[in-house]
Amino acid sequence: MTAPVSPLQAAPEADQPLLKIEGLCKSFFGVEVLHKVGFSLKAGRVLGLVGENGSGKSTTMNIIGGVHQKDAGQIQFDGVDYKPKGPRDAARQGIAFIHQELNLFRNLSIAENLFITEFPKLVPGLPFIDRAAARKRAAELLAAVDLDLSPSTLVNKLSQGERQLVEIAKALGAKAKVIIFDEPTTSLTTRETERLFDIINRLRAQGIAIIYISHILDDVMRICDDIVVLRDGHVVGSALKSDMTIERMISLMVGRSIDQLFPPRDYSAPKGEPVLEVSGVTQRGTVKDITFTVRAGEVLGISGLMGAGRSELARILFGIDPYSSGEIKVSGVPVVAPTPTVCMDHGMAFLTEDRRVEGLMMEAPIDNNIALSSLQKYAGGLGGFIDHGRLDGDVQKMSASVQISAKDIARTLVKNLSGGNQQKVVIGKWLLREPKIFILDEPTRGIDVGAKNEVYKIINSLAARGACILMISSEIEELVGMCDRIMVMAHGEIRATFDRGGFNREDILRAAMWDGNRSTAA
Amino acid sequence: MTSADATIASKARPLPAWKRLLLSEYLVLILTVVYFAVMMFVVPEIATADTLLDVLSAMMPLLVVAIGQTFVLIVAGIDLSAPSIIAMASVVGASVMTGDAGYANGSGLEVIAGILAFLAVGSVIGLFNGTCVTRFNMPPFIVTLTTMMFFSGAAIWYTTVHTDASSIGNLPRSFIEIGQGRVAGLPLSLAVVLVVAGAAHFILSRTVYGRWLYAVGLNPKAAAVSGVPVRKVIFWAFVISGVCAAISSVLYTGRLETGTPVLGQRILLDVIGAAVIGGVSLFGGKGKILWTIFGVLFLTVIDKSLQLMGLPIASVFAIKGSIILAAAIIDAQRHRLLVSR
Amino acid sequence: MSGFRGKFSLLVLQNAPLLLFAVLVIVFGLMSDRFLTPINFVNIVNQASHIAIIAIGMTFVLLIAGIDLSVGANMYLSAAILGVFLVGMPPLVAFPVVALLGLAFGAVNAFMITQLRVAAFITTLATLFIGRGIALYFSGNKMVPFSKSVLAFGRATYLGVPSAIWVFAIVLIIALVVLKLTTFGRQVYAIGADPDAAAKAGINVKRVVFTVYCICGVCAAVGGLVSGSQVAVASSTFGFQKEFPVIAAAVLGGTSLFGGRGGVLGTVFGAVLIQTVENGLVMTNANPYIYPLVISVIIFIAVFTDSSRTTVLERLERRKIRVEPD
Repeated sequence: MTAPVSPLQAAPEADQPLLKIEGLCKSFFGVEVLHKVGFSLKAGRVLGLVGENGSGKSTTMNIIGGVHQKDAGQIQFDGVDYKPKGPRDAARQGIAFIHQELNLFRNLSIAENLFITEFPKLVPGLPFIDRAAARKRAAELLAAVDLDLSPSTLVNKLSQGERQLVEIAKALGAKAKVIIFDEPTTSLTTRETERLFDIINRLRAQGIAIIYISHILDDVMRICDDIVVLRDGHVVGSALKSDMTIERMISLMVGRSIDQLFPPRDYSAPKGEPVLEVSGVTQRGTVKDITFTVRAGEVLGISGLMGAGRSELARILFGIDPYSSGEIKVSGVPVVAPTPTVCMDHGMAFLTEDRRVEGLMMEAPIDNNIALSSLQKYAGGLGGFIDHGRLDGDVQKMSASVQISAKDIARTLVKNLSGGNQQKVVIGKWLLREPKIFILDEPTRGIDVGAKNEVYKIINSLAARGACILMISSEIEELVGMCDRIMVMAHGEIRATFDRGGFNREDILRAAMWDGNRSTAA
Repeated sequence: MTSADATIASKARPLPAWKRLLLSEYLVLILTVVYFAVMMFVVPEIATADTLLDVLSAMMPLLVVAIGQTFVLIVAGIDLSAPSIIAMASVVGASVMTGDAGYANGSGLEVIAGILAFLAVGSVIGLFNGTCVTRFNMPPFIVTLTTMMFFSGAAIWYTTVHTDASSIGNLPRSFIEIGQGRVAGLPLSLAVVLVVAGAAHFILSRTVYGRWLYAVGLNPKAAAVSGVPVRKVIFWAFVISGVCAAISSVLYTGRLETGTPVLGQRILLDVIGAAVIGGVSLFGGKGKILWTIFGVLFLTVIDKSLQLMGLPIASVFAIKGSIILAAAIIDAQRHRLLVSR
Repeated sequence: MSGFRGKFSLLVLQNAPLLLFAVLVIVFGLMSDRFLTPINFVNIVNQASHIAIIAIGMTFVLLIAGIDLSVGANMYLSAAILGVFLVGMPPLVAFPVVALLGLAFGAVNAFMITQLRVAAFITTLATLFIGRGIALYFSGNKMVPFSKSVLAFGRATYLGVPSAIWVFAIVLIIALVVLKLTTFGRQVYAIGADPDAAAKAGINVKRVVFTVYCICGVCAAVGGLVSGSQVAVASSTFGFQKEFPVIAAAVLGGTSLFGGRGGVLGTVFGAVLIQTVENGLVMTNANPYIYPLVISVIIFIAVFTDSSRTTVLERLERRKIRVEPD
């Protein structure tokens, strides 16, 4: 890890913007999604772009990245008019876009991924790849992002954080002057996030301009120099970081101030009988000796770092993944040979952390998604015919009660909904079964502040009705705001449990940072 | 509410008539009718009662296989083995019933035993396909490709064991009636097909299993997490396809009066083509029995008209291919139209 | 040493088809004196070459998660054109012409798939019918005999190696170089793994896909030529349903139908394996009716072990979050 990549160019005059956007407009099918958006970005600075889902962040970045074409407005890049014909053209002109879902090919090596469009050639003009040169240049680029791996390693073998660094190396290789990060930290461990921020700082020092999009406002405050807030396709705020606070960002994003992001609940209300009793659940390589109890009407939070085994535990509890020893009891009855179906029969419900892959039929309308888990409840007779009248009525009621905003739930496909509405569809699907145990894995991931608030209200009303709730979240703030108790996991073990009176951010974080008795590979 | 098919979302204002037509689920039926109307001028014989009855009885066996295939396609599978099931069932069933030393000959129950043999062959092969796909995680294309190769070979081999001829004849008259008989002027096979199609339609649109099929086709992971027994659902789709192929084999064998090992050899691509022309997606989650019926009707009418025109086999092939292609292009364009709204 | 043992067992799992091949060779060798001879080996490769050539083209298509059902029709069309129109031409002129026609056939598929966005399965199903129809029209639904010069080419040997094997070897080397050593080849794998990501990464996906179907078209036509020059006449069933053994050869060689995994060496191995079985059955005087049964069982076993291996690998590679003492 020697030869650092040469700084890409000397920083231009600090007061001359590298990228200047003015009056950017864009409509899709007659709906205006961007209205006269304008901001400017200087070399060697990090600009944070924040806003709720649907505020126009992605569209703006997609126009800069060449994915979409603008309807009106001006973009000046490096002093000249900039009009990319496509993503490839944008990349060639020096704009790199690191998408939230990383665009790497798992079946190819790191080096091949770095040069997939522009391999070094053996003989200029002929199509043959110079593999040795590719490896050498790849090694240099990897060194520049502190990634100590052989360039011929398959991407398949890399962790999420390592893959992200490969993407950055790719941007460096393409001599990018502007790098756009779209939600880069959502699937990184704390350590990986720190490493990413170090690299971003280094890029900034090299004179590269960075646009940083994130929902995690703490991160934005930490890493950015300038902050632009979007709402409904308009720029509603634009300031130096020093003139901005998280509270102000939130109120700009929402358009009103949220005094009460976390709706109140009567935490002192007496809890009911134990509903979910987990004792000694162990699965080699995943979780060890997990023991806890949740009572009716209680909200139990599970905190921990990425990869602490929280989601794995949830999947074991819901019968998706196996466990080797221990016992799970629901209302005193042991759950035998758990599968999702068996667990559902015990009154469990499970909100997955990845709603696109495991939660929804994206190509189906809303009503079919909501009905999916409850069909048997509405079927009877010899042929198992569905009572469509009753089913449709209940689905309609459910959709209204979780406040899904769509004109016609039988016609609107789920893929056309916003993240928040999609999440409400998944929640509605489970509520239709009237679960007594609801396991929520990252219930507010990737949804905007308004929708978050509505999800919290639903959770509270469930708890008030006597359901027991297991809530997994990476945002400690959210757990502190919502839970009766918080359990902290690290390396597949429960490290601490806190009662509502004793919630303390630092203690929770310290328990989560436990590094195990031996260091792990991941 | 409609069933779990991909409902055509209409968020925008009313569309012009041609777009509405293009997006209509009756498009294939309309195309068939238009084609038929044009053909009435080219070959007037096409509009006679005899021809129409011919078309009807020709499409019956094909339709039953296509209905079975629809189930498999909805779960994003494919069943290439259907034609070989037809062939294998045909010779096994015939060997049970035939007057030339058939296994059940003279027992008085030969027709029933024969039909049971047909269904047994279909369900056993379907069970095998389903097991390989769901238990051993093998890709449906390859599993059914190998069962296709195996059983088309096995059918020929089985025939050589039973007879020196290339097929097994001398079947009971009452069996042949199933394929050839008419009731009130309509083919008896129509009754069989109506029962199968009706049952299939109700399973898909009205039962839990039907909804599960679509869910598995659209997103198997989400279906599993939502409590759908994904493996069972896929497994039974293959069994249904096998049984449908066996029923089709009964109709075919009855029509031809012999158990033939090359029966259905050439219909594989017709079956899948018909389903897809009707609008069933090869990628799963989308399909209806009605669409499959339209697709089969479309292909059969074209076949018949080309035959009536007395065209050489070369032209029949080329025209049929072009029409499939045209239908596919129209379908692709309407998808584009759907997406762009 | 445990690492070595682990690697060894994985190696066994990964090479199940190879082991199967070894077992078959030994069994046939024990049953027939003529099987394990150099002449017979050349013979097997010679007979396998047309399937191998077409399957090499099919491998490109499968690598991008596509499919081409029209290869059999393409094969027949090239043979018919060669036998009907190019009678007077010497093979060295006629063959490139036919290869170009094969490319045109592939380009038609490619146009439908990339420009009109018709599913590959349906496109090639339709061109299967159309191609066969046109070929039948040219041949007048009769046997098409080939000219003497074509037959002479089919029987010729160079340096003791039959011409078909030479053609096959050339196609194989070109394919290997293209897949391993060119940007295009690596992009084929990238598109197979994730077409959306490929487009976002700036790969011209349409152009690559287009080229891939053209390559498959050329390979099908060349395969048709090779096969035609060996059999002397093309009957009206020439190439009929060839798509299935071709796909089987590729899959047998470890190429995934879902794209991004596999390669031409495996495919060639698959084609030779199928031919070896057929040859071995002939040598051991087996009942000809059971050939397809045996071959399909072997393909089944190969795919079965491959699927089990994938399942095992997935289980092994499941991310561990705890390090447990051994």
